[in-house]
Amino acid sequence: MAKTSEITSELKVDYARVTELVLNMLKPPGSGWYALFFTCVAAFLWGAVSWTIQILDGLQVAGINHPIGWGVYITNFVFWVGIAHSGTLISAVLFLFRAKFRMPIYRLAEAMTVFAVLTAGLFPLIHVGRPWLAYWLMPYPNERALWPNFRSPLLWDVFAVSTYLTVSATFFIVGLIPDIAVCRDKAKTAIRKVLYSITSLGWTGSNSQWKHYMSAYLFFAGLATPLVVSVHSVVSWDFAMGLVPGWHTTIFPPYFVAGAIFSGVAMVLTLIIPLRKVFKLEEIITPFHFEGMCKLILLTSGIVTYAYATEFYLAWFSNNQYERFQFWFRPFGDYKVAFWGMTFCNCIAPLSLWIPALRRNITYLFIMSIIINIGMWLERFNIIFTSLAREYIPSAWGGYNFSWIEVGITVGAFGWFGMYMCLFIKFFPSVSITEIKEILPPPVRSAKSHAAH
Amino acid sequence: MRGNTNKIVIGVFHYLDDLLANIESVKHGGYEYKVYSPMANPEIEHATYPQKSPVRRFTLVGGIFGCAAGWALAILCSMDWPLRVSAKDIVSPPGFFVVGYEWTILFAALATFVALLHFCRIPDIFRKLGYDPRFSDNKFGLVVSANSGDAESIKKHLLEHGAEEAEIKDAL
Repeated sequence: MAKTSEITSELKVDYARVTELVLNMLKPPGSGWYALFFTCVAAFLWGAVSWTIQILDGLQVAGINHPIGWGVYITNFVFWVGIAHSGTLISAVLFLFRAKFRMPIYRLAEAMTVFAVLTAGLFPLIHVGRPWLAYWLMPYPNERALWPNFRSPLLWDVFAVSTYLTVSATFFIVGLIPDIAVCRDKAKTAIRKVLYSITSLGWTGSNSQWKHYMSAYLFFAGLATPLVVSVHSVVSWDFAMGLVPGWHTTIFPPYFVAGAIFSGVAMVLTLIIPLRKVFKLEEIITPFHFEGMCKLILLTSGIVTYAYATEFYLAWFSNNQYERFQFWFRPFGDYKVAFWGMTFCNCIAPLSLWIPALRRNITYLFIMSIIINIGMWLERFNIIFTSLAREYIPSAWGGYNFSWIEVGITVGAFGWFGMYMCLFIKFFPSVSITEIKEILPPPVRSAKSHAAH
Repeated sequence: MRGNTNKIVIGVFHYLDDLLANIESVKHGGYEYKVYSPMANPEIEHATYPQKSPVRRFTLVGGIFGCAAGWALAILCSMDWPLRVSAKDIVSPPGFFVVGYEWTILFAALATFVALLHFCRIPDIFRKLGYDPRFSDNKFGLVVSANSGDAESIKKHLLEHGAEEAEIKDAL
């Protein structure tokens, strides 16, 4: 991991330049932004129309059926929850470890977290078929004296994901307050001045405010860290608590958490590389930051690969015929393309990042991030579909083909996510101004006298 | 604190070491003061507010409340509708731990947020004593409360000890 001095030596900017560079991103958008935004809106509308058709005609329009009742929707749910993880990892866990490479990237990662959880949260609603009854998941007093089943992992999911959304959104908003104050002070139009004055809550950056702010921020980071671990563990228990072959394993929580971080960091790369190029942020997002992320990818790719291998080993070692068959079916059965695609994208391709020159090749990193995102979607596909397709009794075996409705909703989710990201990038600082200033050496008149302090 | 402080002296600094030296002088003189900076800085924090922030107490209370509330919710709901599922106990601590755990974090975070708003005195959009927009960009500010008699001498002191600008205003 790069030392602070190495990172700050690469940052050839002062406080005023940091403010200028980041606020340049908030200037009126160009045609490229509009093109991207309306593409996302179009994708979102495709998804909205698909969902409307499903609501009107029922779940029959989706491909899910016996025995594969958890299809693309739950694959998407797990994928988006996974994407959401690295935001909190980068902002909270790396904050606690004082990893300086997080500074210019954590804001975008946090935004990605909040919007990805919002996206993930749609899929259980879509999957249940009658979303207007989704409130039944909440424990509330009712005339039937019914309460949800607190022994069910699906209810744990409700608590875990809703807590994660609330805490990550709060953490995100708290981080934004001092930067919105900078926007307020630099706003050139009256409307922006008023909006930023309200949303900055009157932040001034006084000594007592910073004191309480940093203390609160530390606690948020301390609270968000176990949350990162718990949420994807709970999501993994949706599977591991079932008796389905290929799911019922204790390795799932760490395997899912590592996979979530792996996919999330890749998604941060997918987003930050074009952003850096378009908004000319090369001065504050340097190759050191990409190196840090690549090392995180290498670590989590290694853990995920180890988990894949362990699953196969345990299936063989257990001598359980159902487990053994399941792990033969994955690489050689009907869905072998998904398995080998996953293996290539998540285990083999990331190994190239051991080469330092490739870790600093931004184009290569962008391609690699897309490959990993595809690989992680295939991983969830692989876990969900193959296990359900081949449970215990051959008479219950089956297959699955997703419908155009499911494709539309999947594409729509990317549009929904992209739409929020586009709006965020244009209205709020996507790079933390105050935290970059924190790692810059402060201006001092006398280096000698300053060292004595 | 010194007498009737009806004035404030605002010093604008470019260099951190100048600011720190002036903070020490102002503290030594017994004046009330406030420092503005574009980012959190441990040296300013050490010079102005070395004690621990009380935010942590809110976090602790929120966490304890959330833990108790999560467990209570799961236990009381299950006992109110005692349907045995998959041979599990009506009150199943391993399952209910998840709810207690999540709510511990949820309420601790919400309490921390409330504490942040309370101790930072926000939202407060209009009252900014001696604040200058440059303090969020690349300058440090030192705002000293003083009476009319001392204000001029403080201004002179700040200017002689590194302040780029210093001005006297009426305190609100």
